Amino acid sequence: MALIKKSAAPRNPAKDDRAGARDFDGLTRQLDEHDATARRWAARDLAVHANASAALLTRLQRENDVSVREVILTSLMRIADPAAIGGLVACLRSEDANLRNEAIEAMKSLPVEVAPIMRGLLVDQDPDVRIFAVNILESLRHPDVEAWLVEVIEREPTVNVCGTALDLLAEVGTSASHDALERLKTRFASEPYIQFAADLALKRTASMSDGQK
Amino acid sequence: MTAASISQDDFLKFQEYFYRKTGIRFEDNKRYFVDKRLVERMGHTGSANFREYFSKLRFDTDGVEMQALVNLMTVNETYFFREQYQFDCLVNSILPEIVARKKDNRTIRIWALPSSSGEEAYTIALCLIERWPGIADHDVEIISSDIDTNILALAKAGLYSARSTMHVPESYLRKYFRKTANGFQIDDTLRGAVEFTRVNLQDPTDVRPYRHFDVIFCRNLLIYFDDVSRKQAAETFYDALRPGGFILLGHSESMSRISSLFQVRKFDDAIVYQRPGV
Repeated sequence: MALIKKSAAPRNPAKDDRAGARDFDGLTRQLDEHDATARRWAARDLAVHANASAALLTRLQRENDVSVREVILTSLMRIADPAAIGGLVACLRSEDANLRNEAIEAMKSLPVEVAPIMRGLLVDQDPDVRIFAVNILESLRHPDVEAWLVEVIEREPTVNVCGTALDLLAEVGTSASHDALERLKTRFASEPYIQFAADLALKRTASMSDGQK
Repeated sequence: MTAASISQDDFLKFQEYFYRKTGIRFEDNKRYFVDKRLVERMGHTGSANFREYFSKLRFDTDGVEMQALVNLMTVNETYFFREQYQFDCLVNSILPEIVARKKDNRTIRIWALPSSSGEEAYTIALCLIERWPGIADHDVEIISSDIDTNILALAKAGLYSARSTMHVPESYLRKYFRKTANGFQIDDTLRGAVEFTRVNLQDPTDVRPYRHFDVIFCRNLLIYFDDVSRKQAAETFYDALRPGGFILLGHSESMSRISSLFQVRKFDDAIVYQRPGV
């Protein structure tokens, strides 16, 4: 026995579980294959098909295999068209906590695509969706994150949403948010948590000018 | 022609295109690095300005110019026995575990990427021969891949500077290297033991044949990718590994921050990641 080198390029698998047609129709059919590996490969190869979002989102709703779900989400992130973004937003309204969290994680990586719809999500009629939108801002690399959070604490009626926004403002905010934080304290004068979290945010951002973010 | 001939708009256009093709994104702080190399290729292709060069690049049907550009834009610095604790982990823990659960006579397969000039792949070969008694009983195949074809040619040639070989034990140098005018050349046995191949990790067609590996070394590559490309690479590795296969990343990289597909394994020498499903 020894170190050996094959004479040709790496072999194709002996059992070719990717033997189905690799065109759009073939790949979307394979999203429903019994074998998880075939579904995973189909989801991956669909990333280069701009019109694949709907099929991927449909599969995501009923996919139970974690590895396939992860690949579907990565392909949606790669396509990142309005259909993909709209589908991820729809996942925020799901009863499935895993799906909601996966959608939040995916949207965090898409600052350019998510930015145009962020204001709408932050005023969604469902307060849970508004909290998830703040969760997305947590690691969204976008220059308007602080401005969006300030808008939330200026007008948001639900204390839990404001609390979530305050936690994040304490991390990413600057002195530009101070006036809004003071107004929030006035608006929720009888809410001890808001008083505590707003004071913490004021303290943590006191030395942060806008240019030090 | 000077670097100033690349405008900010040109840079952004190139940044987006190169990212789509390779998964590598150059931020603004890499302007000097990128501009210098773009200007070099513009001169080489006789392009009067960036627009002309970019057009050639995009409509370059045989991919030759894109490959030349990739070769210039990728960083290729490594040396033998870099982060040695991972090679210790390979021979002390990973390979014994693979052998213990292996029920047939199949070849153990190791994929090392990016190959750069070959130091990592040859280090693996040296460790297997010198430090792993199991090599007497098992066949092992080492494949090493890179996106840069120039560096692959250097890897195959196996010529190294004294700096690159500074951590190679003296006894190994005597046994497996030949002194040359400028350094050392690794011997034909080891050069013949590693298969070097060109792969773009972001291209599904390229990575498709890479399957059934027991161990993947992918160190200090994912740091150059953005979040989505890192996830895509992790998913490629998942399918390239056999169930129970291992992946080793660079010391500053963490699979847990990239993907939930892998389990963390803490061995005495190193923390590595494992595809579940043994």
